[in-house]
Amino acid sequence: MNPARPIRSIVVAGGGSAGWMAAAALSVALHGTGCRIVLVESEEIGTVGVGEATIPPIQAFNQVLGIDEGEFVRATQGTFKLGIEFVDWFKQGHRYFHPFGRYGDDFGMTPFHQQWLRARAHGDRTPLGAYSLTEAAAFLNRFDRPPNDPRSVFATYSYAYHFDAGLYAAFLRKHAEARGVTRVEGKIAKVEQHGETGFVDALILENGTRVEGEFFLDCTGFRALLIGETLGVPYDDWSRWLPCNRAIAVPSERLDTLSPYTRSTAHAAGWQWRIPLQHRTGNGHVYCSSFMKDDAAEAILLGNLDSAQTGDPRRLRFTTGQRKQAWSHNVVTLGLASGFLEPLESTSLHLVQSGLTKLLSWFPDRDFDPAVRTEYNRQVAREYESIRDFLVLHYHATERDDSPFWRACRAMEIPDTLAAKMEMFRRSGRLLEREKDLFHEASWLAVMLGQGVRPERYDTLADSVLPNEAAAVLQGMRTVIGRTAQSMPGHAEFIDRHCRAVSKEPV
Amino acid sequence: MQAGPIQRIVIAGGGTAGWMAAALFAHMLKSPAAEIVLVESDEIGTIGVGEATVPLMTQFNGVLGIDERDFVAKTNGTFKLGIEFRDWGEVGNVHFNGFGDFGDAIQGISPHHHWLKLHQLGDPSPIEDWSMPYAAARRDRFVPPEAMHGEAAFYKYAYHFDAGLYARYLRGYAEAKGVQRREGRIADVKLDPETGHVAGLRMDDGGEVEGDFFIDCTGFVGLLIGKALGVGYTDWSHLLPCDRAVAVGCERGGAITPFTRSTARAAGWQWRIPLQHRTGNGHVYASAFISDDEAVATLIDNLDGAPLGEPRLLRFTTGHRAKFWDRNVVAIGLAAGFMEPLESTSIQLIQTGLARIFELLPDLSFDRVLIDEYNRVTTSEYEKIRDFLILHYCRSRRPEPMWAHCRDAEIPEPLAYKIAVWEAAGRVPLYSEESYQEASWVSIFLGNRVMPKRYDPIVDQLPLDHLRGGMAQRRAAIARAAETMPDHATFIRRACPAPVAA
Repeated sequence: MNPARPIRSIVVAGGGSAGWMAAAALSVALHGTGCRIVLVESEEIGTVGVGEATIPPIQAFNQVLGIDEGEFVRATQGTFKLGIEFVDWFKQGHRYFHPFGRYGDDFGMTPFHQQWLRARAHGDRTPLGAYSLTEAAAFLNRFDRPPNDPRSVFATYSYAYHFDAGLYAAFLRKHAEARGVTRVEGKIAKVEQHGETGFVDALILENGTRVEGEFFLDCTGFRALLIGETLGVPYDDWSRWLPCNRAIAVPSERLDTLSPYTRSTAHAAGWQWRIPLQHRTGNGHVYCSSFMKDDAAEAILLGNLDSAQTGDPRRLRFTTGQRKQAWSHNVVTLGLASGFLEPLESTSLHLVQSGLTKLLSWFPDRDFDPAVRTEYNRQVAREYESIRDFLVLHYHATERDDSPFWRACRAMEIPDTLAAKMEMFRRSGRLLEREKDLFHEASWLAVMLGQGVRPERYDTLADSVLPNEAAAVLQGMRTVIGRTAQSMPGHAEFIDRHCRAVSKEPV
Repeated sequence: MQAGPIQRIVIAGGGTAGWMAAALFAHMLKSPAAEIVLVESDEIGTIGVGEATVPLMTQFNGVLGIDERDFVAKTNGTFKLGIEFRDWGEVGNVHFNGFGDFGDAIQGISPHHHWLKLHQLGDPSPIEDWSMPYAAARRDRFVPPEAMHGEAAFYKYAYHFDAGLYARYLRGYAEAKGVQRREGRIADVKLDPETGHVAGLRMDDGGEVEGDFFIDCTGFVGLLIGKALGVGYTDWSHLLPCDRAVAVGCERGGAITPFTRSTARAAGWQWRIPLQHRTGNGHVYASAFISDDEAVATLIDNLDGAPLGEPRLLRFTTGHRAKFWDRNVVAIGLAAGFMEPLESTSIQLIQTGLARIFELLPDLSFDRVLIDEYNRVTTSEYEKIRDFLILHYCRSRRPEPMWAHCRDAEIPEPLAYKIAVWEAAGRVPLYSEESYQEASWVSIFLGNRVMPKRYDPIVDQLPLDHLRGGMAQRRAAIARAAETMPDHATFIRRACPAPVAA
């Protein structure tokens, strides 16, 4: 065995959420090793920052960084998020909710939802959502932090955040700089590679500064300056499954009622998000340019705002897909440079976080053994594919046939892995879990049922509980959930009391 | 739409697999909702080499509500903390795959990385010094972890027992819950001409046993799955060359070790499984490299005490049914497949197969999606165990022809990949359906001196004196904790002595 040859310097190319999340996480993980961390960014280059809504694992990320929740929510104009409401997705006029956390509590010998399916088969019309505390709280616009008690009904409850991604990056920058990360201002003019190995040696900035490093993180966004332009790693295009390729984003005034959830409303050729923040509302329309012109998309967006517009619309183009190797040579890519999945399930920032977690467990030394890269790339690819399948489900399983876009989505061929999951659920009510699935049983249940995928049968083992006993247990759960949700403070009230942003940022 | 539930379950064959199936079905599908019949013949012997188990078995007992002490007493059982490997890698080498790990993560990293650094700096201590189960095992001590505190309680255990007595024990359990035992030999399997499903078993005595759902526990012959339904067999002989075993019990000698011992031989390996009143032994070997007579002689020369009875010879083909579940028949036990008992997986595979039947319990429509998923997951489980077994062989430095053959043989791609990643970074990439977690892989890698090129670079964050001090402290704490445990034989005598000398 050789002596360890640790990495002594890391260069993060690009700021934005991805760059500063990386810098902050590395500065904690590598504290005390003497490894130098430099982040290069230019104030002239804007960030994309559509990822203003998040999912619960971000709590763990903040904890590792030692971030206080109240301080963080205050600094980012943040609000709390209990899930996503999907409007007009299954069919026009229909809505369903994808709550964080889980439904009910297992009893008998089968998962909870099998008891629910069985009750339905016997005529009980109660929706599954009646067994989610998170969903109940969301529709009452209430929020509370759960007590740390595994026996409480709160054990089934979970939450994430909405926030201003620009403010989040600034917040993380403070943390990272306090831990010794050096920020270098400037635009990258040239990437210098080693003549033989092709490894990146240095970034040359427009002002002539040379930033050397042993290990580079490409957080340069869609441009993918290192991984794409320099190293030529190709991009795997997933438009055949997720055809949307444009978005228009626009801010509007704060909502009168601060809802603790994201709303996603399907339109004729895409969907519109609504993300409530303390000082404003984030809105955007994701659509497919083959089915809708940009001007029409903008008109739909502006015509469907719940509050007055407060800024100019910004247009974005993207190609859904994934960089074929997230790690090549001595460059690891995070954020938009590594791939793009539309923010339908708020996974953008999560993919950065999860890429960092994996990177830290497969952290290289200066030998950069290819087997380490291969395994990292395999794990990243697996996670992207799993999220991709979950997103495709939203589009494919629909009854909408009111536009060519939806007819195309219904008719498209879907990935085998998703087809297998849908078939298993439809035919037996069971949910297949695969390695590294980010979304678990409850999420798949919410969206399968919400999108009208109905199981033909339930697990016959559910019959091991007598019908009247099962009915009593179900009734008891509904009562506890209803009572608990009613006793929670309002979302806006909670924020005012615990984490109100100090000043409303001018828009 | 909802089809009716399966109501008539027929288990073909007794033995360990059959009676485990009967017990679990009786527990899960309570009478009178279901009728469970087990068909077996007193004339047909059972194989029962699977006398050593893995910790998963405690869960099986837990689900059935079996009292552990009663079960151990009635099966002449002992406790097991892992497997000691002797002379694998090279003659004189000893290593241990314990039911536990090498301690909590340090800096978020498994402590074998820290061990690797010390090892690289010349520290001669084996990684097993940080294994709680090994600390107890090497001292012949045992107590269930519930009796220990803190980190010293982080280990698991399994059992050694007499498989014949175990089957009898479960028979009592199952019959008490309403399982009907039908004595007799199966003459023929009757198929439904329309669906091709098994409709019933015709018995030698002229009777017939009909059912909705059949569990084939008929052993190697696979009477239903193979003979009647014609499901083929995936042969793995080219990957694991052992194809015979000779087994014999012997008189007890020395301590009742709380572990299984596996000793490598010139053309295979020998097991030693301590029971309360005797010791089970067997020699697994490759017939291409040693004659049966030589194999028997090797076994007899290496017993703790006088042999009890004649050695029994078994022939097997390592591999598995191309489909474990076909139509309305699921194969369990040896009818499903065979892998040498090097890691005591036979009973584990019975148990996981049965658990998976209940995860995917069919109704009378026998939906294809359930069957496909069962076969997909079970195949994957078999393949992962197979790869783990191959790892024991493929990097040995022993000089004999069989070992040279194993060294030169091609190995499955997923295993080659695991080894490459291990060698690059000291980590083991694990996927779905892995029976063995990181610590087990690390035990076998390091035990066979397959060393990674480096340890995790994060380890260097820790000042060397802290690392040395912390690791020394952990080792001392483990040793101290082990010293507080009772002797294994004493524990058994107090808690669960077998009633009569068997």
